[in-house]
Amino acid sequence: MGADSAGRGVIRRAVAGQRRDVTVGSVLGACHQIGEALVPVLIGLIVDRAVVRPDGGALAVWLLVLAVVYTLLSFGFRFGARAGERAAEQAAHELRLDVVRRVLAPHGGAEAGRPPGALVNVATEDARRVGAVNMALTLGIAAVVGVVAGAVLLLRASLPLGLLVLIGAPVLMALGHFLARPLEHRSEAEQEQAAHASGVAADLVAGVRVLKGLRAERAAVDRYRATSQASRDANVRAARAAALQTGLMLTLTGSFIALVALVGGRLVLSGSIGLGALVSAVGLALFLPGPISVLAWVGAELAKGRASAARIADVLAAPGETTGGSAEPAAHAPGELRLNGLGHAGLDALDLTVRPGEHLGVVVTDPADAATLLHCLARRCDPERGSVELDGVPLTELAPAALRSVLLVAEHDAQLFDGTLLENVTAAAPAGSDPRAAMDAAAVDEVASALAGGTGGRIGERGSSLSGGQRQRVALARALAADRGVLVVHDPTTAVDAATEARIAAGIRRARTGRTTVLVTSSPALLAATDRVVLVDGGTITAEAPHEDLVRDHPAYRTAVLT
Amino acid sequence: MTTPSPTADTGAELLPIATPARTRAALRTLIRPDRGLALTGLGILVAATAVGLLVQPLLGRIVDIVADGRPAGDLTLPVVLLVAVAVVQGLTTTLGLTRIARLGETVLARLRERFVERALNLPADRLERAGAGDLTARVTGDVARVAEAVRSALPEMARSVLAILLTLGALALLDVRFLLAALLAVPVQLLTARWYVRRALTLYADQRVANGAQQQQLLETIGGAVTVRGHRLEEQHTERSAGRSRKAVDLTMRSVNLVLGFYGRLHIAEYIGLAAVLIAGFWLVRDGAVSIGTATAAALYFHSLFGPVNAALVLLDDAQSAAAGLARLVGVTDLAEQPEPTAGKAAPVSVPQQRTVSSEAAVIVHEVSHAYGPGRPVLHEVSLTLKAGEHVALVGTSGAGKSTLARIVAGVQQPTTGTVTAPAGTGEAAVVLVTQEVHVFTGSLAEDLRLARPDASDADLRTALSTVHALDWAEALPDGLATVVGEGGHRLDPARAQQLALARLVLADPALAVLDEATAEAGSAGARVLERSAEAALAGRTALVVAHRLTQAVAADRVVVLEAGRVVESGPHEELRDADGPYAALWRAWSGSRATTAPHP
Repeated sequence: MGADSAGRGVIRRAVAGQRRDVTVGSVLGACHQIGEALVPVLIGLIVDRAVVRPDGGALAVWLLVLAVVYTLLSFGFRFGARAGERAAEQAAHELRLDVVRRVLAPHGGAEAGRPPGALVNVATEDARRVGAVNMALTLGIAAVVGVVAGAVLLLRASLPLGLLVLIGAPVLMALGHFLARPLEHRSEAEQEQAAHASGVAADLVAGVRVLKGLRAERAAVDRYRATSQASRDANVRAARAAALQTGLMLTLTGSFIALVALVGGRLVLSGSIGLGALVSAVGLALFLPGPISVLAWVGAELAKGRASAARIADVLAAPGETTGGSAEPAAHAPGELRLNGLGHAGLDALDLTVRPGEHLGVVVTDPADAATLLHCLARRCDPERGSVELDGVPLTELAPAALRSVLLVAEHDAQLFDGTLLENVTAAAPAGSDPRAAMDAAAVDEVASALAGGTGGRIGERGSSLSGGQRQRVALARALAADRGVLVVHDPTTAVDAATEARIAAGIRRARTGRTTVLVTSSPALLAATDRVVLVDGGTITAEAPHEDLVRDHPAYRTAVLT
Repeated sequence: MTTPSPTADTGAELLPIATPARTRAALRTLIRPDRGLALTGLGILVAATAVGLLVQPLLGRIVDIVADGRPAGDLTLPVVLLVAVAVVQGLTTTLGLTRIARLGETVLARLRERFVERALNLPADRLERAGAGDLTARVTGDVARVAEAVRSALPEMARSVLAILLTLGALALLDVRFLLAALLAVPVQLLTARWYVRRALTLYADQRVANGAQQQQLLETIGGAVTVRGHRLEEQHTERSAGRSRKAVDLTMRSVNLVLGFYGRLHIAEYIGLAAVLIAGFWLVRDGAVSIGTATAAALYFHSLFGPVNAALVLLDDAQSAAAGLARLVGVTDLAEQPEPTAGKAAPVSVPQQRTVSSEAAVIVHEVSHAYGPGRPVLHEVSLTLKAGEHVALVGTSGAGKSTLARIVAGVQQPTTGTVTAPAGTGEAAVVLVTQEVHVFTGSLAEDLRLARPDASDADLRTALSTVHALDWAEALPDGLATVVGEGGHRLDPARAQQLALARLVLADPALAVLDEATAEAGSAGARVLERSAEAALAGRTALVVAHRLTQAVAADRVVVLEAGRVVESGPHEELRDADGPYAALWRAWSGSRATTAPHP
């Protein structure tokens, strides 16, 4: 599966990026495991040397050795785990930013098919799970070293016992891995289901105002309940598989210990090893399930990590809305916009030239066509037929980001961001520019005077502490303050009252004097302030003249604008 | 604002967090229906742990057999018993864990469902004050944290605590002096736990805040990606996201360091206990009080305690974090459980009324005043009566209080004082409010519509869509009504999304419909289409329409002009237009901007 190998690539990069911490974590973690392996051996030695024939001096010496081993294992654990966690957190952080960068990449496309809640889940939960692979890896390597150290200690005490453990432990590990396999698949399904449930919940919460208006709270809750129950069932199935695995591992390791005790006991009785070696062997056999179960856990973590990595890889490799285009538009271009037989979706053979510095009104009777036109201008899509040119260069040849640095399409549903009013207005403005003209033009001064803290007041997430009309004005001020060579504004005043709208129409005119400005709207107040208006009806241009002329001469235009 | 409310400068007023006592009580309520499952699950796990404790004495028996030099055949019985123990332990553990998991998942599902239910039923003004981010963080982050605890911490904690208790009991059975020696480790462990919990509390609180901030930032940046790209804010937003993420990572590393320091101290406790048990063994064997096998079993018992003790102590952490998450969830579930305080005084729905029965007054707004906090009055003793079937247009400048009045009439918002009497009507949705805020729910178009009427047939859906002139485009979607719409699905432009909202209104079939600039979102081009849709959707209903475009006022039976929170004019369009009042002024501004050459409608 392609997603699988891409997912592996994501994991590989996450590990390689933190190889230093992963290495340090593994080495120190191994020290810890060796220490843990030595503890039962030392218990055996102390029983053998100091308890069987009670000897106070030997007891003191061996307790001292035990203290040294404890210091070693404690140190190894503490600093090894720190390195492992750091590797996990750092990798997750970097993946999170990779996802954010991909979503924000100029050619877009990552949002297709994914609700924001699900994408945020990928950037947080999935990134965390892939990062956790680093921790799992250091613990896994340390656990393998622990198993090997235990085996070596056993081999030194007794060759047959050592061999038994050396052969038995890998068999156990293989069985553990084999048993974890179905869990991997379940884990994937479980995460999908959980992501879905959390996405549905976030979506319903996001639309809570609409639900309340509709009194559909109960219907929404019923729907969520169904999703939640499906998620519950999936998780219970996954938990049952995990419990089965735990139980089987317990049975396997218990039987293994019995076998070691049987063989060890016979060896002591036949005189080939001492009692201490048996106690150590039993102690080690009791110790070994620890690192072995760590390995089983590591297997499960890796499975989760792989499922998450595949989702991250999916997002990172999502096809863009557009492809190609690397040219930079001229920095101080005149700003001539030309549509050459533009055809896309409902639009057909649009020919239009917006002269440098012109203020053009565009009335589109079908809202879907208006959206298509804006998408083509912002290069959120490339036209099926014909072309859009900026100063003679087709947009398809321009890098989307570079294009948007000179041409801003301020969409009707543009979002505001948490921060102060002023921060929002100046977000896209050239550094050091004065936002006052833009704020005045968009009548944001009235917004500021109604807001606690004025221009320095916070407007909340997505501008939630402002009304719809206030949000529109702030968004418009932001677009004006951005001071782009070409500005395309879509219905900036639909929630603004008539008096303010008239003021804004004059404001836009003033703020954009001499700069190419396209107003896609059917607001007569705004259209009256433009140089020329084109009417796009049925996907083609059917009229083109100043607003007053069209109002006077063109019945279809009157219908479109005045009723 | 002359008298700022206490919360004015802190911005959002977060939703409450339940007290520990309240959280525990809520947890008990959640578990109660599955008590049987909880008890049997726990019982089976106790059995599994107890059986597991037979391992060390059996190993001690083997040591004794070997130390005494008895025949090799004597080894068979303890070894067979060891295998039997392993099998029984495996089976019972599987069974017990499965039951505990079923319990945990069931309770978890119950909790999150109750949470979503309460969250969606929160009073509108409470919701506005809290902000959606807080709810979203709880519904994703806290639910996930509690789920994680239920899935991993709960079974492990249960097994560890059982192992500790039963192992200490077994040590005492071997010889009570072994238990006393082992308990020497306890003071260090207790001090360590105290040291840890004290530091952990504030650190984890900070960490949760940082995680919440990160979540909110990501939601805003990812949800607004089109705006970010269009305005070239990519760098700004990447930096912001990086900053929030970095802060969360730093705090996580600080808590990791804390946890590791905690383990370092536990190692000291381990050493003290182990040395003490070995010394006790040394004394007891020397005095002939116990056999070498018993001393070995005791040392092995103590050694086997390390795992469960560490697990249990470190799970304090998960338990604490889950408890904090739980408290935030219960805070919301509790909130809405309280009866709405104003429900009795200002019932929005009090007079049951069949909409088929023609009545003089369908809606009576009586001296309604409202303020969003002290010093922010919005409405002043507004009285208004809508006759059954009457369409009233509410006009006025921005900030006149139109939306607030609309929300109060719709029963979504409780007025500060005054009463609203609206029809109870048939079914649930006696009153439906459609605002300019469009949200297309993720799922198929049909599912979205069925939110308004869950039992609607496909034909009903088509009829509703056709009523609002939306059937043509809906059927032209890639999969027709089964097309997945909403975020991530097929994007509907605002006008279509709003038509969808109107179709929902038709399906909900309320006696009273309140539209708050429901035609503004589409822009003026789509507005006309929407006005036609809205007109069709309102046919046969009593309607209050907050009109942005005065064409809606012309079409209404009556126009009510609101100014600075007061009704200043009321009457049919022609009458008010010809009077020399505020409406005439509004009309001139509106029609004036429509070019003077345009004939008056």
